[in-house]
Amino acid sequence: MNEAMLLLFIGILFLLFIAILFYPEKGLLEIFKKSRYANQKVLLEDALKFLYDCEYNNIPCTLNSIAGNLNISADTAAEIVSKLQNMGLLNANRDFLLLTSEGKSYALRIIRVHRLYEKFLADETSMNEKEWHKAAEEVEHKLSDEEVNKLAAQIGNPVFDPHGDPIPTSKGEIPEKAGKHLNEMEPGEMATIIHIEDEPHTIYSQIVAEGLYAGMQVRMIESNEKRVKFEANGEECILSPLIAKSITVGPIKLEKPVEGKLKTLSSLKVGEKGIVLGIAKSLRGQQRRRLMDLGIVPGTEIEAELESISGDPVAYRVRGTTVALRKNQSEKIYLVKEEEKN
Amino acid sequence: MNKISENCINCPAHNISNLKKLGIDMSSFDYVVALAGNPNTGKSTVFNYLTGLKQHTGNWPGKTVTRAEGAFEYNGKKFKLVDLPGTYSLLSTSVDEEVARDFILFGQPDVTVIVIDATRVERNLNLVLQILEITDRVVICLNLIDEARRNQIEVDHRTLSKELGVPVIPASARQGEGMDELLKYIYEVAVGSYICKPNRLRSRSKELNEAIEKLTEMIKEVFPNLPNTRWVALRLLEGDQNIIDAVRNGELGNINLSKIVEIEKEAAY
Amino acid sequence: MNEMMNKRESIIAEANRLRWELGENFHDTLMQNIYEHATEIEKKAVKYPDAKEVFSFDRTLDKILTSKFLGFPIMFLMLGVVFWLTIQGANYPSGLLSNLLVDTIHPALKTFALNFDLPWWLSGVLIDGAYLAMAWVVSVMLPPMAIFFPLYTLLEDFGYLPRVAFNLDPLYKKVGAHGRQALTMAMGFGCNAAGVIATRVIDSPRERLIAIITNNFSLCNGRWPTQILIATVFIGSAVPAYLAGIVSAAAVVFIALLGIAFSLIVSWFLSRTLLKGEASAFSLELPPYRPPRIFQTLYTSLIDRTIFVLWRAVVFAIPAGMLIWLVANVSIDGISIANHFIQYVNPIAFVFGLNGVIFLAYIIAIPANEIVIPTILMLTVANLGIQGVGAGSGVMFELESASDVATILQSGGWTLLTAINLMLFSLLHNPCSTTIFTIYKETKSWKWTLVSTFLPIAMGLTVTFFVTQIWRLLTN
Ligand SMILES: Nc1nc2c(ncn2[C@@H]2O[C@H](COP(=O)(O)OP(=O)(O)OP(=O)(O)O)[C@@H](O)[C@H]2O)c(=O)[nH]1
Ligand SMILES: [Mg+2]
Repeated sequence: MNEAMLLLFIGILFLLFIAILFYPEKGLLEIFKKSRYANQKVLLEDALKFLYDCEYNNIPCTLNSIAGNLNISADTAAEIVSKLQNMGLLNANRDFLLLTSEGKSYALRIIRVHRLYEKFLADETSMNEKEWHKAAEEVEHKLSDEEVNKLAAQIGNPVFDPHGDPIPTSKGEIPEKAGKHLNEMEPGEMATIIHIEDEPHTIYSQIVAEGLYAGMQVRMIESNEKRVKFEANGEECILSPLIAKSITVGPIKLEKPVEGKLKTLSSLKVGEKGIVLGIAKSLRGQQRRRLMDLGIVPGTEIEAELESISGDPVAYRVRGTTVALRKNQSEKIYLVKEEEKN
Repeated sequence: MNKISENCINCPAHNISNLKKLGIDMSSFDYVVALAGNPNTGKSTVFNYLTGLKQHTGNWPGKTVTRAEGAFEYNGKKFKLVDLPGTYSLLSTSVDEEVARDFILFGQPDVTVIVIDATRVERNLNLVLQILEITDRVVICLNLIDEARRNQIEVDHRTLSKELGVPVIPASARQGEGMDELLKYIYEVAVGSYICKPNRLRSRSKELNEAIEKLTEMIKEVFPNLPNTRWVALRLLEGDQNIIDAVRNGELGNINLSKIVEIEKEAAY
Repeated sequence: MNEMMNKRESIIAEANRLRWELGENFHDTLMQNIYEHATEIEKKAVKYPDAKEVFSFDRTLDKILTSKFLGFPIMFLMLGVVFWLTIQGANYPSGLLSNLLVDTIHPALKTFALNFDLPWWLSGVLIDGAYLAMAWVVSVMLPPMAIFFPLYTLLEDFGYLPRVAFNLDPLYKKVGAHGRQALTMAMGFGCNAAGVIATRVIDSPRERLIAIITNNFSLCNGRWPTQILIATVFIGSAVPAYLAGIVSAAAVVFIALLGIAFSLIVSWFLSRTLLKGEASAFSLELPPYRPPRIFQTLYTSLIDRTIFVLWRAVVFAIPAGMLIWLVANVSIDGISIANHFIQYVNPIAFVFGLNGVIFLAYIIAIPANEIVIPTILMLTVANLGIQGVGAGSGVMFELESASDVATILQSGGWTLLTAINLMLFSLLHNPCSTTIFTIYKETKSWKWTLVSTFLPIAMGLTVTFFVTQIWRLLTN
């Protein structure tokens, strides 16, 4: 074996070693990071949050439901409850668990961080929607008040998180709960999705996979114990009542509810024109604002002008300017095609 | 200053009699003039023309990313001119537009020159209408008029001026066309001999109007001397932390230069 | 007093309440309003031509420049033509300048120093060190830059760059980066520090960091001439003379494209590890083509570049030249510091297909890439003790200027492999100190500054290592 061969071999081994250490998601470093997490403080805070959620939604809360929600044994749950009691955050007796006002404001603080952080992830980063919750679960136990307020200021002190939930203010104010569950709607009734519960994760990801999001308009077709059938932005959708329960709807805010099947900007072929109807709610924050700044608001005439080599991005003609957009944006802009209008 | 003629080798029009390009000599200026506008409308070109400096220009949006300053003298008054990165809107929260946004909002320039693209007037008016909400000392430079002519687009600057309530000067900065008119109006607006009467927006949404009304009332009560309460109300509804802080500690009305980041000299040059 | 404070607080509380009430889409309403207003005004003031196509020329041109089959070829061709013109055009002025500065003025200065009895070390530091380094920078680096950049500026003024970004965007999207990263890389071609500042046009912090870290992979002002020079001397000379220009241009284009490829690979890696996330939205305005004012643009850009290069030559080459002379002439145990280092490092450098002189040059050239080649030349001469007129090493005379570089390097033991590795290492090594400082200022983070500094070095060493070993395996 000559020297070059040997060196090459060593080099390849070395690269392999680096790869095993740093490989995305499956590398040793990542595995190590994931393994250390979860301690007492985290559990206490998660329990508080859960208790608050129960109270807010008027659902009775028991030791078992706590254990189930936090994924711990009933014994540990009892331990945690007594700890919370000792800390003066919780009033408990045989029948009910009730947060004290300190407990409430503590819980609201955690919720504030969680929702703010989700909002931040949704607006400012391009993290996948399914990962927001997990990331926020970690961060909510770590940020100090000061850091939280700074974060809030940086993203324009939002009052709603990306799921449509109100974000408590730094003083712990939060509006009364509004709306009802999706499966409680009457056939023919129209409403706007105002909230999608992000726990448990399995259900949430199913909802996301259906393409449903807060702000979407729905019209109920039928709802019974077996299935909930409804129309969302013109597309028919069927969910099990269990899943539908995770969706909260409220009255329609817009003046003109949108009916019928909608075309998206991405469906325009080069040379075709359309009139913008609106931008999907799932396009948020800065990205949404930038589109509107560029003149893409309801009523704008828009024409597909130029396709790039792989068909994405596409350049559109808007108000005398040419603007290139990626598909993940153009498929969230609704319009009617020009000839259909006539 | 003999440097002037050197700096101006390429200017077609040496004949703007009262203009003195002062380059970076910004000592003891009388007025601050900001150059605002959408990206790629020729702000830096106007800047270079008036100061004799050599800001980089290029035909794509986002060429200028930091603030640049220079000076010129006109009719015996000294003006500090600030070239800003392009912005699409004052209402956005994007970081890339922060420098420009902050200067327009809090830098309190004596005159804001909005450079707009004559071939894309509609889109440019978005920013113009927003700026007119916060200040009325505005001069509009309707730039790239040569491009508009080449494409047979006719822009009636008089109508535009009437509709907006501020002077609109057709120009072609690269050729130096219209620059003396522009200077004349900058001067007049700065010294106050031309009073702008800008055309303000009126929202069509009842809910929004009510919300703004309500806040405006409350603000007026606490800060009676504030010139533009409507804008403050709007910013509060948008959750702008600077404004919230200013309301909280009662300093509304002098939110200004403290917010402005120090001039960042590009390290590379 | 207190009452006032309460009132102020109640304004804020009321604003919050109203925001909950108004819901999220009030901003939408507002924007819609503004645009309705804008349309109204525009209708009154602007008249479009009757012929329905405005900007029809632009549209046709766009169709060609971004078309499936022609988009990329035209891009490569443009870049190739620019380099070909640069290589062809730079040769003559380069020779002229080095004739004048290195072969004529330098000996004259030496004679002058001799006549005035300057101490040998003083004339060494000043004339053989500072002056010579500056002379090399000016003669080797200035001409290519003074040709390349004006041509590049023409393309920029015409409006071609956004189309390049448009063409490249699918690639950037795939690796989780922002489409405007292509634009910042294009700025990086001028100067990486400027490129790093230009990343401000990217408004997603994650993607901006990626763009900052990968900006170093676009060859800058200080590295183009290195590529051009080495390509001309070693690669161009390996083919028949009539092909030399084209082949060297192709080699440089190849390295530039390799840089883009590396920026994509690193972006991909970062998007999946340290800076996890998907490509966010992106919007880019494609401005209308504007015919540039050719002569004026060429002229201002030429002056601009010349001043820039000369300024860097003075600020960085003079102290570096002094340093080079000192390390080449201050001896410990009878051997100069440079020699100590070179001998010590040579065996390691051999593994990477480089040599000790190159490593030393890259350390001295941390402040500015422009001085890499001059440093290599001066150190090689010093190391070999090529003797010219006068005393002291680190001096070169009486070499025919055009092939100066080739002769020196070949006698320094350079082969085609060394040349290729140098081109690769020049693409993949730490950014210059100005850029590092700018990265720190823009990110305000030591962590990212260190990552952007050391990641390219690690990559450079890896790539040269494998190229070398495979080359040796195949040629043995
Ligand atoms: N034809 C023509 N071109 C112009 C005129 N003014 C500017 N340009 C060109 O338009 C392009 C943009 O000009 P800049 O001055 O860089 O624009 P800017 O507004 O500073 O752009 P940003 O810094 O990106 O916001 C350049 O290529 C200029 O040469 C003009 O009056 N006529
Ligand atoms: Mg500019």
